[in-house]
Amino acid sequence: MGHKTDWFRGIFPALVTPFTAQDKLDEDAYRQLIRHVLPHVNGVVPCGTTGEFSYQTLEERQQTIAICLDEVAGRVPVLAGTGAPSTRETLMLTEWARDAGAAGALVVAPYYLKPSFNEVYDHYRALDGLGFPIVLYNIPQCAGTHFRWWTAEGMALDFDNVIGIKDSSGDLPFLEAMFEKLKGRVGIFVGHDEVVQAAMAAGADGAILASANLIPDIWQQVYQATLQGDLATAQEWQQKVQKLVRIVVRCSSTQAVKEGLRMMGLPIGDSRHPVMPGGGFRREDYEELRMQLEALGKIPLADVVIDLGDRQIRTQVAATPQTPRTVSGWILRVGEGFAGPPFQELAHVDLLVGRRDGPVGRAIERSVAHWGEERGLRLINDRPLTLLVPTVTIRTAKQRRLFYEHAAAGVNLGIDGSIKSGFLPEAALDDLALIVNAFVHPAASIAKRVEFNNYKATTQAVRKAIEDRPTVGELFNEKAAARHPFRYAP
Amino acid sequence: MRKEGLDLRGVFPALVTPFDRKTEEVDEEVFRRLIGHVLPHVDGVVTSGTTGEFPYLTRAEQRRLVEIARQEVGDKLVIAGCGGSGTAQALALAQDAAEVGADAVLVVTPYFLHPSDKGVYQHFYDIATNVDIPLILYNIPQVVDRFLPRTVVEDLADLPSVVGLKDSSGDLTYTMELLEYVSDRIDLLIGHDEVVVPALAGGVGGMILASAQVYPEVWQEVLRQVAAGQIEKARALQRKVQKLSRIFCRHGGGVAVKAALNMMGLAVGPPRRPLKGVGGALLHETRAEIQLELERLGKIEVEEESFSYPNGPLAERFGDLELTPEDVRAHSLRVGSGTAGEELNRVQLDLIAGRKESPLGDAYALQLTYPLHGREALTAILEPGLTVRPSTLLLPTLPQKNLRQANMIYGPTQSALGRAIVDALEEGTVPTQAAEDEVMVVLATVHPKALDRHALYHSVYDAARAALAQAFAAR
Repeated sequence: MGHKTDWFRGIFPALVTPFTAQDKLDEDAYRQLIRHVLPHVNGVVPCGTTGEFSYQTLEERQQTIAICLDEVAGRVPVLAGTGAPSTRETLMLTEWARDAGAAGALVVAPYYLKPSFNEVYDHYRALDGLGFPIVLYNIPQCAGTHFRWWTAEGMALDFDNVIGIKDSSGDLPFLEAMFEKLKGRVGIFVGHDEVVQAAMAAGADGAILASANLIPDIWQQVYQATLQGDLATAQEWQQKVQKLVRIVVRCSSTQAVKEGLRMMGLPIGDSRHPVMPGGGFRREDYEELRMQLEALGKIPLADVVIDLGDRQIRTQVAATPQTPRTVSGWILRVGEGFAGPPFQELAHVDLLVGRRDGPVGRAIERSVAHWGEERGLRLINDRPLTLLVPTVTIRTAKQRRLFYEHAAAGVNLGIDGSIKSGFLPEAALDDLALIVNAFVHPAASIAKRVEFNNYKATTQAVRKAIEDRPTVGELFNEKAAARHPFRYAP
Repeated sequence: MRKEGLDLRGVFPALVTPFDRKTEEVDEEVFRRLIGHVLPHVDGVVTSGTTGEFPYLTRAEQRRLVEIARQEVGDKLVIAGCGGSGTAQALALAQDAAEVGADAVLVVTPYFLHPSDKGVYQHFYDIATNVDIPLILYNIPQVVDRFLPRTVVEDLADLPSVVGLKDSSGDLTYTMELLEYVSDRIDLLIGHDEVVVPALAGGVGGMILASAQVYPEVWQEVLRQVAAGQIEKARALQRKVQKLSRIFCRHGGGVAVKAALNMMGLAVGPPRRPLKGVGGALLHETRAEIQLELERLGKIEVEEESFSYPNGPLAERFGDLELTPEDVRAHSLRVGSGTAGEELNRVQLDLIAGRKESPLGDAYALQLTYPLHGREALTAILEPGLTVRPSTLLLPTLPQKNLRQANMIYGPTQSALGRAIVDALEEGTVPTQAAEDEVMVVLATVHPKALDRHALYHSVYDAARAALAQAFAAR
């Protein structure tokens, strides 16, 4: 017995659903997104988990799927997300998707109230009656229940219309059990971006991924390389995108993908509440995602003018919509950076950048002359003139080593990187001075983490100082929900 | 019917094992002092329990601890912790304990390798039938990674020498289930410091607690009040020690208890490695919190602090920033002051704002190089990653002598100031243009003994709004 269908293979992005500032479905942005991914994919999934289906009304889901079908126009199969907690609503939407022309339906395990496995089985049995291809969808992180292998096996073998399973658990022993029992009979897809290459090497027929909105081309290469037996190439790509996809999977994927698409120049709004910017996708995740996309060459370059007052310097940076095209006001600019984990090795940087003949340069001169030695201040760079200041008084030999060797190295790497990426242009370095207050926790141990985290925090702080972030608008949006970690008693 | 003999309805501290700071050897002298410290308030002691770091002790050391306890406690009870991963180890410990005069043994659910329910039953059965000493079962899923199954307890309770069960899970559904099934045959002891009163009210008779060596008298009083039907009074006592009990249970365990005892003058030393006295499971921040709570409970002395809130003409209060009233006038700097809160929560904020190119810009940059020792400036933020605009520094007027004081500035004061600034900006009190062109420094005077973060947050917020209103109106 072979596969029940031949179209369920390859790379399927789980499309995000763009919303306007007024929280309405943004049709233009959605069509643009589909055009962005289409050249690289074997199919698309509207209204999956990444598509925020659980925040959409039934009508909105129909509208979303309809637009998707229209834009795709038959070029690739459309696998519509039609899952709902109740069998009744799932049937309604799946039937609608069938009649609208979708290739099949991706149906998540019924969630919230936790039906037993025989109830889950009957849920899919009812769907089987629609005579329309169904893909089982295991995502215990959200649904709260994990398919057991015998349930999945039973549904795949007992129901003619179950043509595949998507497993987003990341649980490779489970996936291996699926290969053992179902390989060749139904399509077995991996849905966890962090283990795509491993799953494909082991036999997965394809992948439905949140990050395939951002990097469909890379996933297509992983898929093709695996088909050709070139595991080395597939591994190399997986490792290259590992950090990016870890952020996407673990840090509020819907918002992460949307912010990533925005950085790449696609006009995609935020997730619906209660997901919000600076929430599960934290500010430091934003910075990290940006650095990763930048490293992959996914963020377009733009010309920026650094206006020092007495002269102007042109530079080129990987710019997001928030990057100003002219940066003036170099008396005093303030930036903050924050990077972890782990807690005890986290880095926090308060950074000032400004003209050497302004407040920053003068403060460095005075402090070095008068109390620098005593307070542990260090000049760590001439161009730009950089003063490193310990936020916490250094008391032990271990702290001294972690701060002056590893945190300092991280800060310097951050500054070097900022020079190379054009944010601190070479031609301005003689005119600029930086004060970097860096924090190393007294209980920090892992030297390399201290260095990496300070590198990231410094990179962020430089960019935020130059791009005037957070913006006043961001402060207004997030002030009510902001949660300072040390505001509360333990 | 409960079994004859041992009465486990009482307060039993799970004693820490004191170690020498350098050699990690057991410090017997301090152990005796520790027992002397708790003895007037307790009905017995527990040696080498989880709090006593039993997995890090040799058999000989555990035996010696029981011996010492026997010498020190008179006719009160000595309960010997006899936990082992394997049955033979636990058996040997129980035999030792019986030989040197323990009144009962406390045996934890076997851990690390995960035996079946049958294996767990056999473990306790072997000890109960091979050693002639009353046995207390011990459920602590936080470290064992599993519950002692109720059905297993139900059967074990039939054994004549099984007299009790200590439940440290804190899961009252489990406790209630045990009360339902076995309280006719064995005594239940609550082992989770955060839920003592609910457990006693539910029908549990005694307690084995880590915190019963820090505030044994509180727990003894709780027991008395519950027995007298005075639940309100018992609740009030539980609430008084709730935070510290939570810290002991969830933020460091025995390490946190040792930190508390060390602060109280009982030099129990550090834990054995790989645990760290501070900076591991017990964070520096949490240790500071323990000190604060011990002060509040009157367990350690609070130093008298003399200080005053700045007074005199407002424009003269910015000398720390090397700004004179003349500078304020010449550079059109904005100044405002606000006071809010009562007593320990009273806060005064003196605020100065001005253009980045004014001398205030220089003062701002200079403060980030820490010219004032012990009074390091902080950036005003809503949370890490959300620095406010106009960029603002928070500068304490009083030297920060300890982490406790620093904790009040970092966190509650910092975020309240941040929120006040963003609110003022959104409401128009602070003009939008100032967000780009100006900086601010806020001199904050927070009572050195402040300890209510919630109240402090609101005081700082109110004071900051007042200071901002004055500074940005007066032009």
